[in-house]
Amino acid sequence: MSEKIYALLLRLFPVRFRKVYAEEALQLFRDRSRDEKGFFPGLRLWFDLLADLAVSIPREYRHAEPSLVGASALHPMDGIPEFQLLETESPRPGTLFSGTILSLATFAAVSILIVHGGSSRPAPFWNSQAGHPNSARSTTSRTSSRQRSGNDQEKIMTPDGPTRDISSIETGDVQAGSVQSKHASAPDKAGLDQSSLVHAERPKPIDAAERKRVIDAAASNLKQYYFDRDVAQKAAEALKAHEASGDENAATDGEALAALLTGQMREVSHDTHLVMEYSRATLREHRSEPTAGELARYRTTLKDNNCFFEKVETLPHNIGYLKLNSFPDISECHATATASMAALNHADAIIFDLRDNTGGSPSMVSLIASYLFDHPEYMFNPRETPSQNSWTRSPVPGNRLADKPVYVLTSGSTWSGAEQFSYDLKMLKRATLVGETTRGGAHAGVFHRIDDHFGMGIPEAKIVNPFGNADWEGTGVEPDVKVKAGDALATAERLAANKLTRK
Amino acid sequence: MPKRKLDPLPSAAFQILLSLAEEDLHGYAIMRQVEEQTGGRMRLGPGTLYGSIQSLLEEKFIEEIDLGDDIKTGQERRRYYRLTASGRRLARAEAERLADLLRVARAKKILRGDYV
Repeated sequence: MSEKIYALLLRLFPVRFRKVYAEEALQLFRDRSRDEKGFFPGLRLWFDLLADLAVSIPREYRHAEPSLVGASALHPMDGIPEFQLLETESPRPGTLFSGTILSLATFAAVSILIVHGGSSRPAPFWNSQAGHPNSARSTTSRTSSRQRSGNDQEKIMTPDGPTRDISSIETGDVQAGSVQSKHASAPDKAGLDQSSLVHAERPKPIDAAERKRVIDAAASNLKQYYFDRDVAQKAAEALKAHEASGDENAATDGEALAALLTGQMREVSHDTHLVMEYSRATLREHRSEPTAGELARYRTTLKDNNCFFEKVETLPHNIGYLKLNSFPDISECHATATASMAALNHADAIIFDLRDNTGGSPSMVSLIASYLFDHPEYMFNPRETPSQNSWTRSPVPGNRLADKPVYVLTSGSTWSGAEQFSYDLKMLKRATLVGETTRGGAHAGVFHRIDDHFGMGIPEAKIVNPFGNADWEGTGVEPDVKVKAGDALATAERLAANKLTRK
Repeated sequence: MPKRKLDPLPSAAFQILLSLAEEDLHGYAIMRQVEEQTGGRMRLGPGTLYGSIQSLLEEKFIEEIDLGDDIKTGQERRRYYRLTASGRRLARAEAERLADLLRVARAKKILRGDYV
């Protein structure tokens, strides 16, 4: 198809040039499109070709050697001045038609470039927000025993679904105090939350009666839903004990109270997915389906951010580089994921940059991992009982990455689904982790609404870890090569290059 | 008239001459070689590539050679190009011109360093 278009465009050249070089030019086009497969190389190829046509066609016409017309019919005589006609090639209708196509194609190419040029900027919210959430509210929760988990601006993951941050989708401008929430029965495919925000309000002062109501609800929810009865009992008792000693009296607003309670529960449970949330906006009651508007906004967010596939590049030494800032739902991002992996298929080694990745959908984790194995591999996920989606869909037809060296870059912000990807590849000895110890959040929290403003995330199941008892909950995933996050890429590049040249 | 096409020598034509300095290449290989020797900065499109090749052929700075079908098993028959003696002289003259330019640039302290 594209070859035909190019053949058509070649008709724009003067006949003299075409006769000799059209076939060669087509051959070159075939060679390049064979070697430069994938979306971005393809785009570059066409950009090159169109720029080349724009420059070289006028030049060929300018230099086209005018042929003498009628010269042979004249009988030149010495001494007598004579005129000769120079034929200038006037464009034929076919040429004008091709010219129109060329203009349109150039216009389209420039438009595409403008759109894609914009996508390389960092994600404006959602992940970037959730990835660096140590804003106003988290200070109080640092009273909890572990620094790394001392942050309640977390995404909550359902046992069957991806991480969602409904507040950013809802309002488009996430505030430090807004809440991410998730109802237990939300369908995975919807990719959206059920309890959602109606409108933002100023924080209201909390009185003693409300404090008591929230603490009672938290204690009973813990005992009812938390997977470990023993821990649940202890955490509930801890809440009551703190209440009895009046520890919460200082918390006069909802955010402070939520942070305090989160800290108290974690002190006993050491579970970063156990969380109390306060939302300034009203938390809606259970709703079975997200509205069309929410879905549309969710899709727009993904589309605007290229599904958080921030960079797909080939580094020197033919090292493929993918910077992925989330593992978005495959129902929306399957095509982006497969295209990005196809664009890296030629690579001799591959670097996954998860330093700004705060997690997402286990189905996307499995999908991307599928390219790294030649047989179905179990991707352990502490949030989910094993299902068909827990195995990679390996081998992927046409894929050449199954035996290539893999490096995963991690940082202290790498979290949740991104930790699953790192942890599983590390335990399977399929990747070398380079960077910092990750943030350490493994358990899934199912969201339970308490009232209009309070709700809590509670892990309801504990999944057996095939690699041993401890996963990365609270401790994070240790890198194989420990360097500062800022140096991780350079280090991984060096490791990969060394490995490739040794071969 | 066509002579003007190579005077002054366009950088694409100069790069093509350089790419052929060590071995005979076909069009696509020239393109790759130029891309490599310019560190990826110059990727010659077919129009520029064959336009330049045409001019260089007309001025006999390069020549076409026929390697026959036996090498490429018939299906991908390509034209190979070879640098002629005058082409080599031209490339050398151009390189010397650039070297002169470089010396001026250094003298005016635009560029540092002792030698070309």
